[in-house]
Amino acid sequence: MANAVVVLDNGAHTAKVGLANQDEPQVVPNCIMKAKSERRRAFVGNQIDECRDTSALYYILAFQRGYLLNWDTQKTVWDYIFSKDGIGCTLENRNIVITEPQMNFQSVQEAMLEMLFEEYRVAGVYKTTAADLAAFNYVADSEERTTMQSLNCIIIDVGYSFTHIVPFVLGRRVLEGIRRIDMGGKALTNHLKELISYRHLNVMDESHVVNQIKEDVCFVAEDFKQAMQVHYSEEKRREITVDYVLPDFTTVKRGYVRIPGKPREDEEQQQMVPLCNERFTVPELLFNPSDIGVQQVGIPEAVADCLKACPWEAHRELLLNILIVGGSAQFPGFLPRLKQDLRALVPDDLEVSLICPEDPVRYAWYGGKEVATSPNFDEFVYTHDDYDEYGFQGINQR
Amino acid sequence: MTGRESNRIKDAEKKRVLDSTARQRRARKALEALEQDNFHDDPHADLVMSKKLPKFQDSLKTGKEKKGKRKGAEYFRAKYRKNFQQLLEEDKDKQPNYESAAAPAPQKPLRHFCAVCGNFSLYSCTACGTRYCRVRCLNTHQDTRCLKWTA
Repeated sequence: MANAVVVLDNGAHTAKVGLANQDEPQVVPNCIMKAKSERRRAFVGNQIDECRDTSALYYILAFQRGYLLNWDTQKTVWDYIFSKDGIGCTLENRNIVITEPQMNFQSVQEAMLEMLFEEYRVAGVYKTTAADLAAFNYVADSEERTTMQSLNCIIIDVGYSFTHIVPFVLGRRVLEGIRRIDMGGKALTNHLKELISYRHLNVMDESHVVNQIKEDVCFVAEDFKQAMQVHYSEEKRREITVDYVLPDFTTVKRGYVRIPGKPREDEEQQQMVPLCNERFTVPELLFNPSDIGVQQVGIPEAVADCLKACPWEAHRELLLNILIVGGSAQFPGFLPRLKQDLRALVPDDLEVSLICPEDPVRYAWYGGKEVATSPNFDEFVYTHDDYDEYGFQGINQR
Repeated sequence: MTGRESNRIKDAEKKRVLDSTARQRRARKALEALEQDNFHDDPHADLVMSKKLPKFQDSLKTGKEKKGKRKGAEYFRAKYRKNFQQLLEEDKDKQPNYESAAAPAPQKPLRHFCAVCGNFSLYSCTACGTRYCRVRCLNTHQDTRCLKWTA
């Protein structure tokens, strides 16, 4: 068995994939895209880099509401990933570490195993969640101060479709404590799209561009009320407002924030969107989903609520080890704000400490790499023989 | 029939006011829109593939290459065509499940925001219930949105 293990963190927006002996994974968009300008073909995964004009990009996603439902789309993307354009090798006779969402549905798990074993002919599967892999990586990073058996931590996974709060007590997920907030990168992008479309110019078709705007200019306000002063104070308003130059895909390939006083070439002729309160009211939804009518609490309250379902002996350590992963954790100001809000919600004799890794997107993948190279990895793997013997149900009974 | 009537009263009767169910329906639609992947139609939908075009592939497949019968994407689509609602229904017997994991409803009073400019809002439109913060925003709202998109 010289074949290296494949690690696939199969996210709703991007799949993070690579061999366990590689240093870092590729981040591949987990979707098929169609462009208005290129009518001959569709773009699968990273092929989108070849597309010159990404205006009005049409997405076909494998995931719906965070769960893998469109199997033909997923198969197309996986076919691409496990080809020489992707990671350069097939899955045949390899072990794979693959992630699924929290509380994955029975039938989705069944489909995934059937596809992996019968379609891709893998040798064995280790099915897990991104939070588990992140926890594993967290232990590996702690340099033997904690072990998996003694780990108490909370993983906050701010994903594309939703946000999950997952507590681990003594190295095991506390299923009763898992909390889901139906707010993630996709809803934020769509919300920003609506705001810009109503207030400035219609960008309802431009998910790709608006997603870039979101990543470029949005931030989490440390004090929301104070930030809202932009409506009353001219000085504040000028401080926050930025002009975002939209791409036209001939001279400007990617949008950027205009720097006042230093115009780039032809800048006057480009379309620009002024952004002010949109910059912080959009990520604010992660903290207060009720602002747009989603009847759920935000991340800080959800963490407090998740604590209630965990044994009280573990609370101190849980609060000391809060780890944040996922793409939407990258908003500037996310960490201080969360800490401040959480501090106000939990007992004052418990210390609160949060960690956000440098690369929250790939963090879980590195955990998968650690798992795959750990000495007792073989014990985790559900092999092809097991599958032939017990079918898909066997994987959850071990 | 032209009588001596008050124009103000006549106008007020004409004005349509949305009831609470219609308002809720609108709010739900707005939330569902946040889940949508695309707001436009497939740009390739009207494309007709010509059969005459030769298909160039990197490797020519020979019949021998395939050992066992592979099922292909079509098979998986047919076998696992369940939508989200069906999956939720199936999931109900298990505890904890998707629904029990949802974050609870907030205890704090709701914050309201002006639908036009985004400021904190104190007032709501009498016809459709949309929030606004000042007369200028109300006017914009009435000119552009109020009752103009079908509920």
